[in-house]
Amino acid sequence: MTDGHPDVLVVEDDPDLLEIVQLMLRLSGYPVRGAANGKEALQAIEQRKPAVVLLDMLMPVMDGWECARELRARYGDTVPIVVVTAAEHARARASEIGDVADVLAKPFEMDDLIRVVERYAVKSDVSSRPD
Amino acid sequence: VAATVVGVFLVAGCLWIFVTDLLLYALVEDQAIIARIETAKGGAFVMLAALLLYVVTSRSAARLAHAYATISAVLDSIGDGVLLLGRDRSISYANPAAVRMLRARSPSDLVGVGAPEFSRRYRVSYPDGHIVPPDRYVSQRVFDTGGVLNYKAILHPPGAPEVVISSTGAAVRSPDDASVASVVSVMHDITSTENLDRLRDGLFAATAHAVKTPVAVIKSATQVLAAGGSDPRRSIVTIERQCARIERLVENMLVLSRFRSSTLQLYPVLLALAPIVEAAVGEAARLAPDRDIRVEIDAGPRVYADGERLTMVLRNVMHGAIRSSCAQAPVTARLVSTRDEARIGVRYRPRLPLDHRENGVPGAVTDYDDVAVGQYVTSLIVQAHGGTLSEQSDDGHVTVWVHLPVAPENAT
Repeated sequence: MTDGHPDVLVVEDDPDLLEIVQLMLRLSGYPVRGAANGKEALQAIEQRKPAVVLLDMLMPVMDGWECARELRARYGDTVPIVVVTAAEHARARASEIGDVADVLAKPFEMDDLIRVVERYAVKSDVSSRPD
Repeated sequence: VAATVVGVFLVAGCLWIFVTDLLLYALVEDQAIIARIETAKGGAFVMLAALLLYVVTSRSAARLAHAYATISAVLDSIGDGVLLLGRDRSISYANPAAVRMLRARSPSDLVGVGAPEFSRRYRVSYPDGHIVPPDRYVSQRVFDTGGVLNYKAILHPPGAPEVVISSTGAAVRSPDDASVASVVSVMHDITSTENLDRLRDGLFAATAHAVKTPVAVIKSATQVLAAGGSDPRRSIVTIERQCARIERLVENMLVLSRFRSSTLQLYPVLLALAPIVEAAVGEAARLAPDRDIRVEIDAGPRVYADGERLTMVLRNVMHGAIRSSCAQAPVTARLVSTRDEARIGVRYRPRLPLDHRENGVPGAVTDYDDVAVGQYVTSLIVQAHGGTLSEQSDDGHVTVWVHLPVAPENAT
């Protein structure tokens, strides 16, 4: 549950990485949702606007660049985007999509992930630790 | 040659005058007759000189014509583009290879073209993408420096793919004043070599990129495990799965590089397919315990195959199916056989619509993805075994089939 706070939307096509990032965020007390590509992410944002989007770039169906453009067109700067990428020169590549909140280069440290997320998202009152 | 001809002519002429005069004055006393004979002797000398001149000139002209024909044949037949630039620094000759390379209709399209016009037509750039100023072309610089200059450049013929060239400009000096009278510019097309280098660099980049995601999962899973935030068994299986993924990627890249350098060796032996299929399915099931992975063995065919490479094929196909399928739907491996053909099929329900599936074209290693590399290597290995890969879609499912020729029944 989100306790009324906006959650973190993780957009990642690799199921293992998606699962583990969600687990890291839940462990730190953040409400979180997942999407496997840009299209699913836009559908999820339509249902509920998240506090921040952690966006992978290379994905099938709709990649990170297209998703970011669509997000900007629909919601302006109201949804912060954190680019998560394994590409070389991550920050330079991320700048191609315009004003991004931050960049996380894969592989990343859990502390770095949390440090980025805590700038935008608020922890749930009740930590939803996984079983 | 010229000095020899002149020397021979001088000696022969002097001898002619001296000997005939000696004979004339010894044999004839009448001055009038001597005068007439001397006139005739002079005429004969001119005629002999003209004959000699004719023989020498025609032989030289014939040799020149032969040399011209030889040079023309060489220029017409070589694969390198050759341009000749005159004193006005514009093209005065282009060989057929240059015409092809520059996408011109005929040599006359190029004759008279100077460096500024050449720059407008072909946007000559350095390999780093910067445009080469027309006065920096080797064919222009060599007019001022003399000697031979060389550089690597990229031509962009209109409506045609770019051409990477190694261009050399060589000065031809005038025999009169030693100034540079013309320049021979040779353009060697190195596009395919460059593309091969780029492809190799691309594969390195793809490997480095594809390794980052499993490394990220391993790193994160380890941190979550250390924080006591997950089921240890689940984390260990996740880590093991990612290790297998990296191992598979490295193996695939190794095979790919050997295919590219034509150094891959297969060691085919007579193999029963059923145990190999069962082992590959067992390994996949162990690495993905949450998934419903099934095996159906309907036949026990034997094939001539390299067991190690065939195992790679099945690992790649199973991994591709698991990665591309819905988590809730089963992945089923099936072994069937006819008299001539053994078929291993892996059936799954794609998690993405069919027109959006990743890496739909086996063979195009363009995506930074281990599945794409695996598909490409799989197709190469299967083809090397005389088999084929095919894909079948029905009822929202996809089946990837590996077809292999069956070994004869009496094979040992």
